Formats: sequence, C-alpha cells, structure tokens
Amino acid sequence: MSWLSLGLVVAGALVVPLGLRAVSPALRGPKAAPSYIPAIESPRERAPFDTSVVTDLNQARPDYIAIGDSMAGSRIALGDLSRLVGGRGAAGLFDAARGSAYWYLAFKNWIVDRGIRPKAVIFFFRDENLTDPLFRVWPGALDRVAMDQESRLNEILAARVNGTYHQVHLTTQALYKHDAVRAWIEPKILRAPTALAADGPGQTALLDAMNDKVFTLETLRPMAVADMQAADDAAFDFRKFLPTSVLPEIIRLGAESGIHLAFVRVQRRPEDHRPPPQSPALQRYIKDLAAYLVANRADFHDDWGDPDLPLEMYDDGDHLKDEYRSFYTALLFRKAPGIFR
Amino acid sequence: MIFHSLDFVVFFLVTVTIYWVLPHRWQNLLLLVSSYVFYGWVHPWFLALIFATTCIDYGSTRGMSRWPHRKRALLWLSVVTNFGLLGYFKYVNFFVENVAAALGALGWHVPHAVLNVALPVGISFYTFQSMSYTIDVYKGHAKARTSLLDVATFVSFFPHLVAGPIMRATNLLPQVETQRRFSPSAARDATLLMAWGFFKKLVIADNVGVIANKVFALKAPEFYMLWAGVFAFSIQIYADFSAYTDIARGTAKWFGFDLIKNFDHPYLAKGPSDFWRRWNISLSTWFRDYVFLPIAYKMSGAIKADRALGLDAITWAYVIGMIVTMLTAGLWHGASWNYVLWGAYHGVLLAVARIAGAFPKPRKRIRRWLAPLQIAGMFLLTSLGWLFFRETEFAALVRDLQLSPSQATVLGTQTAVYLFGLAAIYSAPLWIHSLWVAAGGPDLVGAMLHEETRPHLGRVAAQAGLAGLLFAGVLVLRSLTTLDFIYFQF
Repeated sequence: MSWLSLGLVVAGALVVPLGLRAVSPALRGPKAAPSYIPAIESPRERAPFDTSVVTDLNQARPDYIAIGDSMAGSRIALGDLSRLVGGRGAAGLFDAARGSAYWYLAFKNWIVDRGIRPKAVIFFFRDENLTDPLFRVWPGALDRVAMDQESRLNEILAARVNGTYHQVHLTTQALYKHDAVRAWIEPKILRAPTALAADGPGQTALLDAMNDKVFTLETLRPMAVADMQAADDAAFDFRKFLPTSVLPEIIRLGAESGIHLAFVRVQRRPEDHRPPPQSPALQRYIKDLAAYLVANRADFHDDWGDPDLPLEMYDDGDHLKDEYRSFYTALLFRKAPGIFR
Repeated sequence: MIFHSLDFVVFFLVTVTIYWVLPHRWQNLLLLVSSYVFYGWVHPWFLALIFATTCIDYGSTRGMSRWPHRKRALLWLSVVTNFGLLGYFKYVNFFVENVAAALGALGWHVPHAVLNVALPVGISFYTFQSMSYTIDVYKGHAKARTSLLDVATFVSFFPHLVAGPIMRATNLLPQVETQRRFSPSAARDATLLMAWGFFKKLVIADNVGVIANKVFALKAPEFYMLWAGVFAFSIQIYADFSAYTDIARGTAKWFGFDLIKNFDHPYLAKGPSDFWRRWNISLSTWFRDYVFLPIAYKMSGAIKADRALGLDAITWAYVIGMIVTMLTAGLWHGASWNYVLWGAYHGVLLAVARIAGAFPKPRKRIRRWLAPLQIAGMFLLTSLGWLFFRETEFAALVRDLQLSPSQATVLGTQTAVYLFGLAAIYSAPLWIHSLWVAAGGPDLVGAMLHEETRPHLGRVAAQAGLAGLLFAGVLVLRSLTTLDFIYFQF
C-alpha cells in the first residue's frame, strides 16, 4: 500500500493537470486558430490583418515611410516632413508599445509585399530594439500586421527562445495545453483588483495610469534604474543576437525590393544636462550595429549626445513634448541628409 | 545550484536514484560529493571555505576528545576561526566603512578600501551548524566523531546547506551515521511537500515579490503604496523562505533524512514570543540555546538587586538577554544597519511582551474572543519589522516612517488598493492553508513524523489531487520573473 500511495501521489501530480488540457479548448474561444508564431504562442482568437493601412499607402504612394513606436510618434511631424521632402511626401506607421517584430511585419506585409515602393523607409528605435525580436511581443501585439503564416518570424523567435527551458515548456505544453489557460486567467487576475480600486471606466484607465505615471523610470530610485541598465548589458551583444533578430530580414527585404533603408536611434532621456549614460557594452553594441548597417548600404543616424536635444525638450520618459515635434523633424532633416537624398 | 532550476531537477533525480542502490557508507560518500557539486556549481572556490570550516570543527572536536584539559582552548580555536571566516566574508566591508565613517565624524578622514569579494551563499547557515557541533561536544551534549566523512556530510548536506533549517549535530549526525531505508510513505509526503514548496516559491513568492520590488524601487512612494509594498514583502519573505525549507525537507526525506520543521504558520502568531516559536524555528532555537540562555543565566546571577524600576531580577535578565540576542540575530542576517534595527525592534517587542505578561491575563473566554485581534495586531507589528528589514537606505526609512495618509493622491491610493488586492489574490492559498490548519483541518502538505503501516486511502487520494493541483498551478500561474531565494544572501 505504501508503494501504491507513492505511485498515486506521483500519478496525481502528473494526471490532474490534464484537466487543463480538457478545459483549454473551452477557454480558447470558438474562433481560435493556430498562431502565426506557434513557436511561442498557442492557438487563440486573433484580430484581423489591417488592410486599411495598405489602402491608404496605395493611394498616397509616399516617397518616405517612417516606422516606429511612440518614440517616433512624439518626434516626427508628418506634415512638416512631407513639406521638407517635397514630391509625394511622407507617411508614418507609428504604433505605441511595439517593437522590432512588429516593425518587420509592417514593412513586409504593408509595404514590400503590396508592391509599395517608397524611396526610403526609416526605422526609429532605441538602443538594442532591432536585435530583440521578443521586445513587446505578447498575444495579439502583432495581429494587425501579421498574415496567417509568418514562418520566417516564427523561425527567428523559435531560435531566440530555444533552450532547455523552452524544450521543457514545449513538452508540458504539448501534454497539458496550459498556455491557453494561462492566457485566459492571467489578465483576469491582473484586472481583478482594479474593481476594488476604481469605478467602471476608471478600471481600465487605472492600469495605464499606473504604468505611465506611477512606475516610470523617473519615479525610480537611481540604484533601481542603474540595476535595470546593468541588467540590460547582457543584451548588448550585437554579434550574438543578430542572427536571431529580424534585422537581417529587414535588410534582405529592402535589398530585394530596391527600397533604401535608414535607421534612426533616438536618444533616451538625458540626465540633467548630460546625455543619457551608456555602458561600454552598449557603446560597443552601437558601433557594431552602425558598421553592420553601413556594410549593408543602409543609413544610420544616432541622436545620442546631440546638444540640440536637451532635457527640456523631453516630456515623460523618452518622449519629446508635442511642441518640439516640428523642431525634431527639421533637425533630423538637416542632420541626416543622406536619408532624404 | 538553486532548487527552482532544471539543473537541480536532473541533479536530484540522478543522485537519489544512485543513492538507493548503494550501501550505507557509499551513500554518505555520494551525499558528500553531491553536496559539494551542489554548493560549488557556480563558484567552485566556495568549496574551500566549507571544507576549511569542516576541518576546523572536526579537528577541534577530535582534539577535545584526545586532550580534554585543552577543551576550552580548542573551543576558542573553533569559534575564532569560524567567526573569522564569517566576519571576513560577510562583515569586513561593513566594519571598515563604519569605522571610517566614525573617524570621519571626528574629523579624521581616512581612505579605506572596499573588499571586492562575493559573499559565499549559505555561509551563515553552515558556519552556525558546524559550530554548534563543536559547542555541543564541548558541553558534553554530543560525542566527538572519528569519521571525517560523516562530519563533512553533516556540515554540507545539500538539501538545507544554503538556507537551512539549521540542524543540530545531536539530531542530524545520528541520521548520517545510521543505516537509512527507503520509505515510500515518506517519499510520498516528501513529494507533496516539495510540490507545495515549488508552488509557494514560483507562484506566490515570485508574483508578490514583483509587487514589493516595484514599490521599494520608487523614490517617493505614498503612504498607502508603501504599506501595500510592505504587505507584499511580508508575504514574499514568508512564502519564499518557507518554500525553501519545504523543498529542503522534502528533498532530505527522499534521502531518508528528517529535517526539523522551520515554520509553523507564523502569521497566526498572537504575540512576539509566539511569532518566534513559529518563524525560522531552527535559527531562533539556535540563538535561544547558544546566545540568549547563557547571557540570561549570567545576567540573573550578576544582578544583585531584587527589583529595579518595578521589575524583578529575572525579568531584567530576560530583557537584557533578549535585546542582545535579537541584535545579534539581526546582524546575523546581514552586514547592514537595517538588519540590526530589525533585530532591535523584535528584541524590544519581546521584552515588552515579557513585561506585559507579568500583568494578570484576561479570562479564557475573553482571550478566545481577543485572539483574532491579537493575530491581526501581531501581523501589523511583524509587517512594520519587515519595513526595517527590506528598506536598506536609512534616509528612505526615515522618510517612509514620516509618510502620512493625508498626503496621498487619488491615483496613489488606487494604486495601493490595486497592489494590495493583487498580493492578496496571489497569496490566497497561503492564507487558506494557515486558516485550514488553525481550524483543525488535516495538514496534507505537512510531512508525517511517524512511519505509517497502512496509509489512509482518503488522505492519499487528497494528497494525489492536491499534488496535481499544485503542479497545474505552477504551470498556469508561475511568475515569469524568477527571483532568487531571499535567504540566499544570508
């Protein structure tokens, strides 16, 4: 009986979680479909690919298209840029809280594969964004720009996350299908306490307000910020992470489609009257990135250390104040003429 | 090596499989080798320290047995060298910086170097354990062992090496020396204990730890936010430390060893003494036996007056002994004034409770009604202590204590309520478990102390279901941010 009781407990530990497998189809929703990035995502219901952007671009056929997140959005005044570049002007594909995987898919699916051929596409990024394909990739983050199959991106993400832990995760996931339950329950847990803290519409806004106002880099102790930066040093290895990033794919698409590519590294928030600190690892990373881009005939412009971008121009975090958008646009046009030749 | 890693899972499975096919002496050798692999996994040079500690205490105790008239000198040899190693690696920077600061305050500015050396994890735990063996031999409570292998296995036994529980030689050494036999019932209980430990670490401690870390990373948290962070830390440190102990006890059980219970639902404590009977029991009893009692005995003999300031000599001896003991216990945790302050705070709480205990107690019926209030009050007092423990910057601590609810903004208060609610949700299993046991429910995860001849089928079925639920919980709810065990740093 003792041996049997041990066997029962071990069996219980392994068998009971199969209940997750049983409930996961119900939690997945009737419209759940296999993900376009199955290496890191279970089947789920997705938002459709956004064709309206393609329609707009097809109508406008701009000479320049800028791609980026809110860093670009708070810096580029598209009307001003259109006037400065003349011709058919410029368009912006700016989406807040997105990263390089999103930018790659936007470039591929909204521009290259639709036959849109601007003179140049300009990517705005911070530090190591271009070689971190997992940055800001969460369920649904890429839906708007993704087709049903994104095999190359899936390969890249699989290569990036590959390791023993990922193999174990894949095994347990194949057995128990727990990711679907996690995807269902985690947002519910994270949202549940908002009902205690705020009323109706305020509940959704509360989480955003906490992220934007309470827990920002500016509200952290200097050591906490330093710790975050120190932790990032591990990511500042350009040669190591390039093969498992979307950057080579972006370069390849640019070369094959004849679209000139430019990359603008925006400056993070300065400290007092000094440029933001850069660790030696980050400096090496940027040097390697610049060399790679130039070798692949892309333009690279680095805002870091520009005395024309003082702290006074910054709003929250690394965003610029609205009133400096035109200024920055003109500054970029003046300081990076190669991009707009 | 850390418990919540794949390295450990493979290491454990391989070691325990080989272990049970070996004869007793070879089992001990395997335990020693595997313990050294476990401890030296990241920093192999740590092994030199633990080996040195083992040799010092083995040599001292052998010497005591051979030259009884030199026992005292050998005891001092052990104490000085053990504290010397601990002091060098853990306290030398603290000492140098404070001496330099004190001299600076007197106008003598002396340049001082900072020792750039990693603190060997677990050094405080195994040093105390090893030293207790020497002290017990000195006092005649244990006999000096001739087998270096057994002593080395006792000092380095990997399940509890890094963060306890601290085992006494009188308890663990006999287990090392005697033949062990595999018990399926013990392995069954051990499995559930380990599952509960992993759940507490990966789901509860790491999820609420993120909340505490967020709040304590803020330059200027508001009143309610700070206390939401303190609440989260109170849960984190208990879930984290007790998780380590549960995994350690479960692992040891798989090897046929019984480690002592280190936690007994401490947040159900009704007062300071009760809390220390339930929290880090192995450490508190170590300090009681080797620090408090000797001081208290000495003091009670030294205090000549019958009464002073309304207290009798025994109470004075208790108060002085307790405050010195808790200051030392605070410093044991880390070379930082906030730990000393935390120790002093608990020393004062214990002293006040002792003095208050001299007054007549309310009747039993009233005490029963008062119990929930006592538990809530003690939880608040303990949480205030955790603020001292967690806040390492003195200026920030002063600012924290000056915060007022009247300065709170709407967003700050809403954030605090949100964080408090989130910590409460993630910690719900911990509270439910404590309340269930307090209400007299069977503790399914508490490993049994006696061998079963016929396991109760209902209990086994409940354990099997619970093990599955815990594993499912880890799969679905584990934090994606993995934090180190807090007590690793001590």
